[in-house]
Amino acid sequence: MSEISGIGCDEVLHEIEHFLHGELDAERSAHLAAHLGECGPCLHRAEFQRKLKEIVRMKCHAATPDYLVGRIRVAIRVEAHAHQMPPSGSPPVADL
Amino acid sequence: MSSRDGAGQDGLESRFEAEALPLLPGMYSAAYRLTRNASDAEDLVQETFLRAYRGFHQFEPGTNLKAWLYRILTNTFINSYRKKQREPQTISDDEVEEWYLYSKMSEEGMEPSAESTVLESLPDEDVQEALSSLPEQFRIAVLLADVEGFSYKEIAEITDVPIGTVMSRLHRGRKALEKRLWEVVRERGLVRD
Repeated sequence: MSEISGIGCDEVLHEIEHFLHGELDAERSAHLAAHLGECGPCLHRAEFQRKLKEIVRMKCHAATPDYLVGRIRVAIRVEAHAHQMPPSGSPPVADL
Repeated sequence: MSSRDGAGQDGLESRFEAEALPLLPGMYSAAYRLTRNASDAEDLVQETFLRAYRGFHQFEPGTNLKAWLYRILTNTFINSYRKKQREPQTISDDEVEEWYLYSKMSEEGMEPSAESTVLESLPDEDVQEALSSLPEQFRIAVLLADVEGFSYKEIAEITDVPIGTVMSRLHRGRKALEKRLWEVVRERGLVRD
């Protein structure tokens, strides 16, 4: 396989998933980017993988039901109060 | 809130609500992908926040709260919800070659730009179902990386495995997802058989 910008296509394709996830160090990342800038076939594959990743992210988002944050806030407050000892002599306070 | 609350407890509670609750949307979304249904997802998220609140005094301020919460989410799911669901736990490694989806779509002789357009045209539910079909440890890795955007290092912390294991699960999980997506593309008749 050809070597462009000091890296062969096989190396680039092997590391592309780490590159796309931002997991390569700056120097390695720059080398891959330089290769992709000059190598159409590698760039095409990289673009496909990037797009695929983006599609998975966009399509796998589930919207939170509106009431859930309130339900959880109440649960936390109940939990917080359950562990508080009321001051001696004072009546229990219901303030939820 | 009543004025009888001690300042410490009150401070902890309001700090937890201010810092942790804004992370609810991402956590609910992840919970939905893990449990595969809204009712279990709601319960899982609520349980996660309660456990997190109980342990919040041990959380070190300034460290990664999001990763800490997802760790609790993942553990709670594995310990409480997984038992309900029987599923295969492994992916046979050799069955999916590298660049699977790219190669399959190229074989169809599609125009370069048409490949991702086909994937974009898939209904959301199909892609979600494809992710859900992955065995658990692979589903969790891909979910945390590609949907929630965590780094390998964060995923290693959340799932309590070495980074090498994270990378392996991600690589295999992504390949298995590609295979499943290709099946969906064909079932939908989006390419010629």
